[in-house]
Amino acid sequence: MSSHLRRLALLLLAALPGLWGCAAATGLVSIAAVGGTKAVQASREITDSEEYYVGRAVAARILSTYPLYQNPALTEYVNEVGQTVARKSPRPNTYKGYHFAVLDSEEINAFACPGGTIFITRGLLATCASEDELAAVLAHEVTHVVDKDGINSISKARWTEVWTSMGTEAARQYGGVAGNLVNLFEGSIDDVFKSLVVNGYSRSAEYAADAGSVKISMAAGYDPGALARVLAKIEAKQKPGAGGFYKTHPPASERLAKVKAEAPKEAPPAAEATRTQRFQKIVKS
Amino acid sequence: MNRPILFRRPGPWFLALALLALLLLPGIAMAETMKVGQPNQSLYPDPDFGSAPVASVPVGAVVTVLQQSGDWYQVEYQGQRGWLNRQAFPAPAASSGFNPLGLLTGAPVKETSSDEVALAGKGFTPEVESSYQQKHPEAKYGEVDQVEAQQVAAAKLQAFISEGGLKP
Repeated sequence: MSSHLRRLALLLLAALPGLWGCAAATGLVSIAAVGGTKAVQASREITDSEEYYVGRAVAARILSTYPLYQNPALTEYVNEVGQTVARKSPRPNTYKGYHFAVLDSEEINAFACPGGTIFITRGLLATCASEDELAAVLAHEVTHVVDKDGINSISKARWTEVWTSMGTEAARQYGGVAGNLVNLFEGSIDDVFKSLVVNGYSRSAEYAADAGSVKISMAAGYDPGALARVLAKIEAKQKPGAGGFYKTHPPASERLAKVKAEAPKEAPPAAEATRTQRFQKIVKS
Repeated sequence: MNRPILFRRPGPWFLALALLALLLLPGIAMAETMKVGQPNQSLYPDPDFGSAPVASVPVGAVVTVLQQSGDWYQVEYQGQRGWLNRQAFPAPAASSGFNPLGLLTGAPVKETSSDEVALAGKGFTPEVESSYQQKHPEAKYGEVDQVEAQQVAAAKLQAFISEGGLKP
């Protein structure tokens, strides 16, 4: 009996390198996976938290150009409509959530900062005639966040420089925060701000945001035809040589044609009158 | 006279059991701990942002990782099980060492404390934002904080949705 056991022990001992080899082989797969992840990190996408910090800086810069409209009841209402559509978007949660605010400007405009802070001007709010139209505008901006259009406007060369500077040297300089990283952050904010406020996103990004808005509106129970109505009003208000929204977005007429083709022809959803009533009470008062 | 049993030469049973224990050790030690490196992290019942969070996990909290599925880690924190998104754990440093146990078990590689220091200098962090703020005093960060402080309570949103005849 004891000789059997001794043999078993010897067998296990003999098999040990092989078994550890198997474990090590599993480990190698794991190493490869970890190594792969790190290789990806060398050219990784921006993380949700980095997107959030870029978005905060972009929002801070927009607010140094457009004053924040201090109207708690209106801000609360815009947030309620905004949250209602954001939760039905393909990206219902961002790093620190969606936040909506009103800018004290007569200009017709709206901005989606990376990470989920969304601004709408008083001018655009006044152009909307109902909650469904406001929801359509906010859903368009939410789609820019979903599609990461702001973050994608950071130049590839700059982002490449960001991650190549994230080496040990940058970490060593951490005591004073690697200055290069701050400069690259600053440049990234410039890239996003220029796209958002000066040049606008690509036409394809705007058309995608319109299509996203129609889908989100439907998913939330709002009228999918509301976006077309707002676009028609925006087009009607356009003055020759107008800047702002008119400069950063494709012509409303072109967008209108696409949106009309995409939106299903359905009867207005239930309770639209109730929604319009509360919109009138808060926004138009 | 027989020697006391404790002083006997290790028998084959002992050798076999010791070897088996050695082989099983990595499996036993699979659960690893990781430190949450980002603020405002929530524990979700499922690996999906769509589910309502069951608890919040503060930055610096040490959680026991039970398994990984894509971008999600099933963890145990203060006796509660749930899922944390990968964003809770900032990207590892390129120069990080590895934990041999983690490599053998396929478990997440835990960062060493020196890596944690290195991580602080990676990417766009609150520290980078702070330096940017000093460089740009005109940027209205105070108002951004005000905008971010605006919250709609879940119950209030549900009432708003319901009143407006919208989809829950």
